[in-house]
Amino acid sequence: MYDFNYHRPASATDAAAARKAAADGVYLAGGMTLLPTLKQRLARNSDVVDLAAAGLAGIGRDGGTITIGAMSTHDSVATSSEVQSAIPALAALAGGIGDPQVRNRGTIGGSIANADPAADYPAAVLGLNATVHTDRRDIKAGDFFTGMFETALDDGELITKVTFPVPAAAAYAKFANLASRYAIVGVMAAKTGDGIRVAVTGAAGNAFRATAMEQALAGDFSAAALDGISVDADYNSDIHASAEYRRHLVGVMAKRAVGEIA
Amino acid sequence: MDIGGEHQIPAAREAVWRALNDADILRRAIPGCEELEKISDTEFNARITAKIGPVKARFKARIQLEDMDPPASYTLTGEGQGGVAGFAKGAAKVRLLDQGEGASVLKYEAEMRVGGKIAQVGSRLVRGAARKTAAGFFANFVAILGESAYGKP
Repeated sequence: MYDFNYHRPASATDAAAARKAAADGVYLAGGMTLLPTLKQRLARNSDVVDLAAAGLAGIGRDGGTITIGAMSTHDSVATSSEVQSAIPALAALAGGIGDPQVRNRGTIGGSIANADPAADYPAAVLGLNATVHTDRRDIKAGDFFTGMFETALDDGELITKVTFPVPAAAAYAKFANLASRYAIVGVMAAKTGDGIRVAVTGAAGNAFRATAMEQALAGDFSAAALDGISVDADYNSDIHASAEYRRHLVGVMAKRAVGEIA
Repeated sequence: MDIGGEHQIPAAREAVWRALNDADILRRAIPGCEELEKISDTEFNARITAKIGPVKARFKARIQLEDMDPPASYTLTGEGQGGVAGFAKGAAKVRLLDQGEGASVLKYEAEMRVGGKIAQVGSRLVRGAARKTAAGFFANFVAILGESAYGKP
């Protein structure tokens, strides 16, 4: 690890100011990706702005909306009684991320800001039509994920919270890498106020909606309605799964998720 | 690891060929390229910063053009040293097809290898990163051609 200046601001405003003043600063959320990267000397940031004390954790329900602070850990989402009762699929998704160490350190804000192609949360944000709130604006789920590790966030823009409209029903199914629990393919299916949504993570550079499946499910919400639908995408291919296998898994995971609801 | 692709370019084949041999255009088109120095007609030295998520690695690269068949094809080989991050090397066969009416098609097939830490920790991401870099290069290349004198007949 190279030397860096460490900041531990007490508010989001102070965090943004520290980040702005730094030559090459970076926010530290749970550190599940950033810390190994720094330790391996694969990044050399002049300043690390730790968000742990910035007051960004916390989960609440306001009518039909669940609000999750950016620094809420996966474990806190998985075990929240409010999330469990309003959006059980979201609690289950959070409970299936990584291992207990990751779930007790990793955060929702860190996960979606990092936008790892195999992360679970992007499927929830997109599938449940969440809104990402930053210190500057509100970003709709559909506009947020723009590429592999790329988001609509500007340099220094800080996620403060994520709001999820409570869906009529939702389920998440993933085919996990057995070592890391990363999604080789994960599918969130939901009946929302905005219609049927099917969001896929792990399969391509960034999470995306399977619109062909959404249309089929709008007429007949059943796993059988997905028979024969092959979702076109720029599929990833790596040592864990080929592009063809991922394409196949999207169909299988979508049927499992829909089957759980229907 | 093999990647490949095909891009429509709204410029005549000769103009595209000249641009593909122009150090300044290449520097502007290669994502993360900070410096590209022409050593000879077929050799370049480059400094490139590769960024994937939180990972940021600086590479010193040597690029050579071989099997020159103007204005139809060449083979581009490159080798980059990224210090502690590791190394990357690869070769790309680039072909230009004349479509007439000031339009051409560029096809490429590339193979590349990475080694060192970057391969250890990021093997699942290397192919995606390579494809993204290639896509970024061609998007920039087409845009630059559109605004420069190269695109005009």
